[in-house]
Amino acid sequence: MSKYFEIARIYMKAQLVWRADVVFNMIFTIARIVFAYLLWGVIFTGKSTVGGFTFYGMMSYYIVSSFLSQLEMSSGISGEISERIRNGTFSKYLIIPVNAEGYFAAMEAGIVLFYLIFDFLAAAAWIVIFRIQFVFSHDLISILCAVFMIFAGMFFMLQLNFYLGLLTLKYQGIGIFLMIKNNLVALITGTIVPLVLFPEIMVEVMKFLPFYYVTYLPSMLLTGYNQEEAVLGAAVISLWCLVMQVVIKMTWKKYIRKFDGVGI
Amino acid sequence: MKKDEIKRKSAANNTWLSKARKYQRILKVLVRLRFQNLMVFRLDFLGPFFVDGSLFIIQLLIFKAIYANVDSIGSWGSGAMILYIGTFSLLNAASMTICFFGILGIPYKIRSGEMDLYLSKPVSPLFRLTFECINPGSLLLVVFSIFIIVYGAKASNCRITVHAVASYLFWLVLMAFLYYIMEVLIRSVSFYLISTTRIEQLEEALLSLCFKLPGIAMYGIYKVIFYCILPYGIMATLPVQSMLGELTWKTALQGIFVVAVFAVITALVWKKGIRHYNSAGS
Repeated sequence: MSKYFEIARIYMKAQLVWRADVVFNMIFTIARIVFAYLLWGVIFTGKSTVGGFTFYGMMSYYIVSSFLSQLEMSSGISGEISERIRNGTFSKYLIIPVNAEGYFAAMEAGIVLFYLIFDFLAAAAWIVIFRIQFVFSHDLISILCAVFMIFAGMFFMLQLNFYLGLLTLKYQGIGIFLMIKNNLVALITGTIVPLVLFPEIMVEVMKFLPFYYVTYLPSMLLTGYNQEEAVLGAAVISLWCLVMQVVIKMTWKKYIRKFDGVGI
Repeated sequence: MKKDEIKRKSAANNTWLSKARKYQRILKVLVRLRFQNLMVFRLDFLGPFFVDGSLFIIQLLIFKAIYANVDSIGSWGSGAMILYIGTFSLLNAASMTICFFGILGIPYKIRSGEMDLYLSKPVSPLFRLTFECINPGSLLLVVFSIFIIVYGAKASNCRITVHAVASYLFWLVLMAFLYYIMEVLIRSVSFYLISTTRIEQLEEALLSLCFKLPGIAMYGIYKVIFYCILPYGIMATLPVQSMLGELTWKTALQGIFVVAVFAVITALVWKKGIRHYNSAGS
């Protein structure tokens, strides 16, 4: 376990080199909140609620979901794995005495821990500047389930991106597919608009998918909505993590033999 | 005296014509070479269409979801918003088809010294960079965008007159030009900085956010920023406002002024940048 802590520590320290990344990450968090503020400000003109949200409820949702989506940084993993398989340097993860997926999990943990405080500061600053009456849940079970789902959701996204990266062993070029995936994930995790605004049937279908529990449900729970889904949500995302782990194991076993270490 | 003047004018005309013919020939060669290249990587041919197509469909779904809960955003109903999405999509598709992939390579070419190859050829480097990576696969996105625009115009119940269409086309061309010069301007900064990755990421983020927020929702300092300083806010808004008959003379003049100012800035930054360029390691 200590070697994974060491990997996380190294990546955490490495972020200090890329200070501009920190600034831009904060700018992106702020920009999302500002744009949401402008758009929903116009939409709420003359209305007290939209889709069950008050204006401040909606802003609170955006603040939490922007914060969470900026922390979810695993999308680069699939690109890196794909690139390394294509140029032959994926051997690095086969030679070092750590599990490849564990390596990426530790890497992600190190980066997220570093950014956690800066993203939190960016979100908090806008609550103060815009004088947003932040809506926060007082239900302990909801908060605990949301925190669990945040971690499980991040782990699921890491698993998904690791798995997609491995598919390069079979399909060679997955760049375009990854870009489409990024577009879709932004929609179905509810980071662009809360999923509750979509037709009910669509929301019901999404509840069977893991993405519903990555950003959307934790954000809703933390802002005091959907509390009846808290425990079930935690169970569903855990189940998806287990399923994904099995899929990764099978894929790894089947395709890693195809990697010859010299690139494609 | 008169004869001399006529001779001079005709010589100037001939030079201009021969220059135009020369660039036409170069354009043909660049297109042919690009097609040969695309035939090798066939999936890349339609890649941008699928990626951006998915993005615009998602955008339509999002606004459909919002309009299921509200009747209008500002003064715009769902039809106007579809028109807005179609217009933004068209601007993006036109850029992808013609120049985006060529312009995208400018920072790398400056960093690696590859720009030498462009400067040493008897053709404008910016012309070659603009047209050398055309992407015919994105033409499908242009067609797709036109369908969205037609549908949006119908759904918005606006009066489609010759004047409205001409005005819309004028603004569309002007904003496509603004889109292009903003792309060039941001990449031209590479002449002066080691890395412009973050600036490009910011451009991408702002484009994506302005795509979700029409200019009519902006006010105060935000309007100043996204109308004048980072003019992504006007790109699709002004053509749509012209089609809907909502565009005031004041806003129209402001729009033209912004395009003119950014054209001058881009030309200056590019020209000075070329002089600043020191080959490999710039």
